[in-house]
Amino acid sequence: MEEQTPVLEMRDIVKVYPDGTKALKGVTIKVYEGEILGLLGENGAGKTTLMKILFGMLKPTRGKIFLRGKEVRFKSPADAIANGIGMVHQHFTLVEVFNALENIILGMEGHGLLSKIDVENARKKLQKLMDELNFQVPLDVPVENLPVGVQQRIEILKMLYRDVDILILDEPTAVLTPIEVRELFAVLRKLKEQGKTIIFISHKLNEVMEITDRVTVIRKGEVVGTVKTSEATPQLLARMMVGRDVVLRIEKPPKEPGEVIFRVEDLWVKGDRGEDAVRGLTFEVRAGEIFGIAGVEGNGQSELIEAIAGLRKVEKGKVYLKGVDITGKRPRELYDMGMAHIPEDRTHMGLILEMSVMENSILGMHWRKEFSKGFLLDWNKVEEHAKRLIEEFEVSAPGTKAPVKSLSGGNQQKLIVAREVSKRPDFIIAAQPTRGVDVASTEYIRNYLVKLRNENKAVLLVSADLDEVLQLSDRMAIMYEGQFMGIVKPDEVTEEQIGLMMGGVKGEPQK
Amino acid sequence: MNLKNELRGYAKPVAESVLAILIGVLVGALVLWFSGYSPLEAYYWLIVGSLASTDGIAETLAKSAPLILTAITFAIGARTGLFNVGAEGTVYFGAMAAIIVTQYLQNPIAGLLAGLLIGALWALPAAVLKVYRGVHEVISTIMFNWIAFFLVSWLAVSVYYNPKDPNSTLPIPPSARLPLLIKGTSLSWAFIVAILSAIIVFIVMWHTKLGYELRTSGQNPRAAEYGGINPKRSAIWSFVIGGMTAGLAGAGLVMGTPPSYAITQGLANVHGYGFDGIGVSLVGRNHPLGIIFAGILFGALSAGATAMQQHAHVPLEMIKVIEGIIIIAVAVPGLLDLFARPFRRGEA
Ligand SMILES: Nc1ncnc2c1ncn2[C@@H]1O[C@H](COP(=O)(O)OP(=O)(O)OP(=O)(O)O)[C@@H](O)[C@H]1O
Ligand SMILES: [Mg+2]
Repeated sequence: MEEQTPVLEMRDIVKVYPDGTKALKGVTIKVYEGEILGLLGENGAGKTTLMKILFGMLKPTRGKIFLRGKEVRFKSPADAIANGIGMVHQHFTLVEVFNALENIILGMEGHGLLSKIDVENARKKLQKLMDELNFQVPLDVPVENLPVGVQQRIEILKMLYRDVDILILDEPTAVLTPIEVRELFAVLRKLKEQGKTIIFISHKLNEVMEITDRVTVIRKGEVVGTVKTSEATPQLLARMMVGRDVVLRIEKPPKEPGEVIFRVEDLWVKGDRGEDAVRGLTFEVRAGEIFGIAGVEGNGQSELIEAIAGLRKVEKGKVYLKGVDITGKRPRELYDMGMAHIPEDRTHMGLILEMSVMENSILGMHWRKEFSKGFLLDWNKVEEHAKRLIEEFEVSAPGTKAPVKSLSGGNQQKLIVAREVSKRPDFIIAAQPTRGVDVASTEYIRNYLVKLRNENKAVLLVSADLDEVLQLSDRMAIMYEGQFMGIVKPDEVTEEQIGLMMGGVKGEPQK
Repeated sequence: MNLKNELRGYAKPVAESVLAILIGVLVGALVLWFSGYSPLEAYYWLIVGSLASTDGIAETLAKSAPLILTAITFAIGARTGLFNVGAEGTVYFGAMAAIIVTQYLQNPIAGLLAGLLIGALWALPAAVLKVYRGVHEVISTIMFNWIAFFLVSWLAVSVYYNPKDPNSTLPIPPSARLPLLIKGTSLSWAFIVAILSAIIVFIVMWHTKLGYELRTSGQNPRAAEYGGINPKRSAIWSFVIGGMTAGLAGAGLVMGTPPSYAITQGLANVHGYGFDGIGVSLVGRNHPLGIIFAGILFGALSAGATAMQQHAHVPLEMIKVIEGIIIIAVAVPGLLDLFARPFRRGEA
């Protein structure tokens, strides 16, 4: 296999961003026809940058790209697509008010003023594609009303519809539930059978082990090595990525929870479309306890979090923090009372992408005395604070004045987590805290949450990553259609029981 | 490295604006040429009229003062995510308030404060409609501009008219006028007021909690709300501060412009500054310090236009064409950005 010419080769790619960040320092990767190549690397290693260069979104500072042995240079994504290369981004790029069909044919209407969009033909072609792959999406529903998993399928179909034969997937599984991941993998295998070539980026080592043929590991803008997946182990890959052994485990000493810090009583919350998204939830989180909420995304978790964090109206019921009724209070009051909130939507809620790392580092605590000097903000103090966050959580950023959008996805997430825990909260909501974060940092964040618990703080963990909930929680609830199917202790249930509850079967109520 | 980074941040917008100005000058030259004028001669007189003499410079700076202030109104709105075009009407009110108040309190400070206060008050209805009723600020501020026009016209004609001169209102009493900076020109303290206002607004927007909250609300309202910021409060403050600078612009106009020191018939001498300010703000990249330079540029264009007309016989309107081209050249990349945004939301 190694002898044949690669279908694609990126040779000695160097990328220096305009602000001087050296994201890639001479990266060479080879991809062979019909294989699935995994691309692994820590947050900020340069994976997205490399793929954006391949997809014609960024110009390399130096280096060459060969497609089937011929040198190519793509001026734009359209150019890359015309050459059979497609990419699905880490953060989606669909037009929210359009439906799937419109999104997929967007930009393909043909050239010239007189050409008409042949919608019916497009629909037929798409239907055929979906049938072949057994990969269905509703074509006529506005995208904003579809769960992320489906949105991602639309992104993939959008590329396949354009007949690409090399497909780049940048962290496709970060937003998927385990079942969706399995379905995605089935499709990827089918595509591979059809002879398509796939480049797959993920931070989840077990996924990489399962789906890829070979893995190329990148560290700090350089290739560490390429291994056959059949000859690799998760430990080996982790070591290649980080440059040292990674302890893939969480130390969690047993602990008796203390007094009730946070309590929700018969909470009802409506979703964006006026439906009852949360239907009569009652639970509590104690000091020194991690209370986890698992469940397929879209079962009311987001609405629940927003309601208790003061961002969505509570229709009925009560929320208490440290014994005080906080129902309907604004975020600022809640933060001043000792709440912190790692939101699930980092780009739309947790950060202001255009603003600097420094400015983002004080969001939600900018009124605190420590950051002001009379009626002025003390930017020196803010900068010190930002530097502390960066250091403590090893956020790799070009500098404190760089806009947050120039941080890699995982580093954006680390910045949010760092900021929220720096608020020294008594109660913290952690929604998808490790989404898109690399192995080492994931362990760091998880250990940090456990540390907060050990320091007698109350932690509410909401995650689509079942392993994460199982690993961290002292007690956990499984949410389905706005209700808890059961509240259990992770070590007292089987995966099967949890699977049933996630599917809407009520479990035994447990203490 | 840090300072370098910061300067880099400014380099791009400055370069884009300078480029736009060059394009405006070049395309303007073409338009002049095709219309049968000599571009060289026209530009020669434009520069002579605006920059080559003390009088020219004084006229340039004097003309820039109200533009800087109304541009700031628009800029604060834009930074907060609002399209506030209410400066125009607020200027009328600021001017009228200064005239009324100085009839009783014959002191320049009183006149300026009157403009400031009426500006803040006149901004409130649009702010309240926006925040509590969701009325789009473009609609409401345009409507309020007309209300201001007729209300101030009525006051000018029927209440505070000058019995000795039917074409204008009562003048600002001499002891309440803004002192001239250069005798025999129209450059007065109004210019200093404009510069100070720009600096104060810069400090408020980039060095206070309030400014942080306004900018956050403008960039990402959802993140603002999550960050404990009340976007409604931000919107109200944005209208109010913007109203203040526009009110000051009006007060400065009548208190610091010889010879009339009054509002003339049909509000002719206080008219148009609010809308011109939008262009100035765009060229100044909605940044108070950029606006100072853009304001002076536009001041120079209108100061030089007179000389251009007198000596090169180019009609005054030609200056508006050049201004328009500059604004379009600046705005086009910005507009493209705005329309492209939904398609590449949240790039990593
Ligand atoms: N627009 C930009 N301007 C400046 N630096 C940037 C920009 N985009 C990315 N970088 C920097 O380039 C480096 C590589 O980023 P990239 O997004 O490629 O990382 P990644 O490997 O995809 O990480 P992640 O796993 O977190 O998504 C990072 O140090 C990042 O801060
Ligand atoms: Mg990435």
